[in-house]
Amino acid sequence: MALLALADDAVKKALVSGAQAAEAFAMTYRTKSVYIEQDVPKVAEDRSEAGIGLKVAVGKRVAFTSASLEGQKDVRTATSFAMKTVKMVPEDPDFPGFTSYKVMGKVEKTHDAKTADASVEELVEMALGMTAAAKVRKDVTVPKGIFRVQDYELRVVNSEGAEGSHRGTLVFIYFTAKSGTKTKAGEGIIKSLGVSLSQQDFQAIGERLGARSVENLEASALRERIAGTVVMDPLDLGEMMIQTVGAAVNAEDVRRKRSPWQDKKGQSVASETVNIADMPRLPAGLSSCAVDDEGNPTADRPLVVNGILRDLVHDHYNAALLGGKGGNAFRRAVATIEGAYARPAQCSISNLVVEPGTQSLDEIVESVQNGVYVEKLAAPEVNQFSGAFALEVRNAAIINRGELRNHVKFALLVGNMFEGLKNVAATGRELRPSHGFLTATGCCYLPPMAFNGFELVGQK
Amino acid sequence: MRELEKSALKVFEKAGVDFGDIRTEERKSTTIRIANEQLQALSSVVRKGFSVRAFHRGAWGYGSGTSFTLDSVRHAAEAAAEIAHTNSARGLKRSFLKDIKPTRRRLKLALKIDPSNIDLDEKTELAMTVSRAQRIGPNVVSTFAIYGEWDYEFGVTNTAGTDVSWREVRTRIGGQAVAAEGEKRDSAYDFADGTGGYEIVKAVDPNEMGKTIGTEAVELLTAKKPPSGLMTVITDPDISGLLAHEVMGHASEGDEITKRRSFLTGIVGKKVGSPLVTMYDDGTYHGAHGTIQFDCEGTPGHKTKIIDRGVYAGYMHSLETSGTLKMPLTGNGRAENYSRRVWVRMTNTYFAPGGDKFDEIVEETKSGLLTHKSISGMEDPVGGGFQAVALMGHLVKNGEIGPAVRGMTLTGKALEILKSVDMTSKEFKLSGGFCGKGEEDYVPVSSGGPYMRSKIIVGGG
Repeated sequence: MALLALADDAVKKALVSGAQAAEAFAMTYRTKSVYIEQDVPKVAEDRSEAGIGLKVAVGKRVAFTSASLEGQKDVRTATSFAMKTVKMVPEDPDFPGFTSYKVMGKVEKTHDAKTADASVEELVEMALGMTAAAKVRKDVTVPKGIFRVQDYELRVVNSEGAEGSHRGTLVFIYFTAKSGTKTKAGEGIIKSLGVSLSQQDFQAIGERLGARSVENLEASALRERIAGTVVMDPLDLGEMMIQTVGAAVNAEDVRRKRSPWQDKKGQSVASETVNIADMPRLPAGLSSCAVDDEGNPTADRPLVVNGILRDLVHDHYNAALLGGKGGNAFRRAVATIEGAYARPAQCSISNLVVEPGTQSLDEIVESVQNGVYVEKLAAPEVNQFSGAFALEVRNAAIINRGELRNHVKFALLVGNMFEGLKNVAATGRELRPSHGFLTATGCCYLPPMAFNGFELVGQK
Repeated sequence: MRELEKSALKVFEKAGVDFGDIRTEERKSTTIRIANEQLQALSSVVRKGFSVRAFHRGAWGYGSGTSFTLDSVRHAAEAAAEIAHTNSARGLKRSFLKDIKPTRRRLKLALKIDPSNIDLDEKTELAMTVSRAQRIGPNVVSTFAIYGEWDYEFGVTNTAGTDVSWREVRTRIGGQAVAAEGEKRDSAYDFADGTGGYEIVKAVDPNEMGKTIGTEAVELLTAKKPPSGLMTVITDPDISGLLAHEVMGHASEGDEITKRRSFLTGIVGKKVGSPLVTMYDDGTYHGAHGTIQFDCEGTPGHKTKIIDRGVYAGYMHSLETSGTLKMPLTGNGRAENYSRRVWVRMTNTYFAPGGDKFDEIVEETKSGLLTHKSISGMEDPVGGGFQAVALMGHLVKNGEIGPAVRGMTLTGKALEILKSVDMTSKEFKLSGGFCGKGEEDYVPVSSGGPYMRSKIIVGGG
């Protein structure tokens, strides 16, 4: 807490040094990690870090600087660097000043004491548990696994009286399994995120990991083209949703005319059954918090209601320019909190939540006559502007008359995410979290979903 | 050696671990972002920290911190040694650190133009020009430009006697435009970067760069859907580089071999491509984005031949994989920063240029596709599959470059693609960027190569 209080000192110091307004974001965090290599705990870590991000304004000139934080001398370094810089930057005529909320309270279950207190030794045991569970067959190994737990605390203050703090824990699991022989191998990859260790079912994660490697090994190369219903697992679908919907509802992207939903407020952008909200108040959510990273209070916000675009997410700057409400300025990522202080807050989704339906995954599959279940892609990357994608599948199975049949590989899932949203065939009921790239802010909670209009294209 | 380093080494000696080191870093960076010809953000970062690690009987313990006091370094080193000891008792397979030849050097960096000597105004104007020049017409609806400079100082000291320090400076200028017409919307980019001073970005014509970005974004609006299926593809240096980096490069990282995760395990001396294919990882390549003086273990940067005229030549190594596999050290032990672990990582990875002219390759292609710039690529060390997304392309018909086609995905088995290479150009280029391993641990790298003609599966668009 002593280090976090340096945020207040930084604001005072900036004002004394000639800033007309200042905003400081200080954070401390501790990371414990275990790396599994070839079934054994090869590397284990226990690391600590603190840092501060400082934004200063002189008139309409604004500059941001950050420094790792050990004591007052780092506050002096950050302040003097910021003041030196701010005199040289061009004016931003649209700069609306800083926010002035004093945010109290917190969102439930974002910090888990047991998770924060878990020792490296305990984490090693859990990682070994997942590794053992992955051995669904003799030939399955776990060549690589990353298991990380973080405990963090942050404080944001500014010269306008804004003040807020937040504490959280994060759990990140990324494991790979390999099966087969030297000449023919299959790989399974699994990822799981959460805010507490108790949310993780290590046995189930390990078993699914091992099974994926075997399914990948035994999958046959797809030759033909399949144009039925595509059912998608939430993890990679969530990443595709963040890249497209997450960017399309971002007020910064809308203001800069980068968003394909730029003039679509009040118009249909998805099937009538689709409801999407930004929910920073989601209990135990990865991005949940009462205060955003520039001191605004957060609020849950419906974005797409019955398929109609209703709202956007705004940071303070874009809210002032576009007439919305702030509360969506973030710098912290959900896969790792590391280095968040070194980035200025940016307009971003928090927890993007796709409203669940009533069907289980099994029921969705049963309802499909002809199609594919895609569980894992090589890399779920979508063109955020056009929505187009063509992605290699790693774990996929043909669906025929409501049943999962053979697994296939060497095939591309081809489609357009924005068009897909208008052709949602089914929405599952179990929400799971997904995230973008490592330092990406925000995440997506969504169930399995089925789409019409996507194709799985084989090699011929 | 400073007191901090001495105290860490003393802890490791007292703890009786096989090996220990301490890495110190000071990272300063400045980034200027221009959006729609207006300053979006100017940010400066000063990040200092240390990483200690202990190795004992096959297990590593790591610790790190940002507090440079004797107490915090000692505490982190003790914790690292304890973790290494505890995990070494878990029946790990023994791995061996290469017999380390101690190096003691304090390297000074001679920059042509130190970025810290250039006014912020000039840097801002440079980025502003790139942003402004993208406005080639009403279809360009959004512009963006970025200037960045990274000035890092490193020190590595270990129990084997190595004590080195050095400085790395990188600069970058780039931009991205969004073009739209009706419901159609697409984007194009360009950038230039490297290891060196302000001279790297000063060599760029910002008007030309901006104009190219704007033109390509608009061109994408009317580009046709690319053909799909297995076809003759002339990959440009960006896509050639992705093939080198993502598939052959990641699968040649020594730790993927010791983990038996790579499809290239045990393949040294075997044919993996046509005789036209030679590939390097070269940490010494002058001015390239992935160039290093030393890796994060204090091993000097190195040029490593990975494929020699179609025959697989060797892997990249850290201290540990080199020792375990009894192969030469290659200076590839790298970490994103002081709070991340060291892995075997690439530097500048590329296919060597060939003997054909680009024009000749096009002229000799009856029907095919020419790629232009990359969007992304994905590693697949286990399966050896290639997946890359190109920004756009052009059809090639009867030896002539035809109409533009939209971005597409290129896929297939890497070794089948490399065996089908039948022409490689004299023209050669490296492109910089940041590479992650799995999903994390981003380090500065570059990749590239010549224009290469081969058979690849194309899809999407």
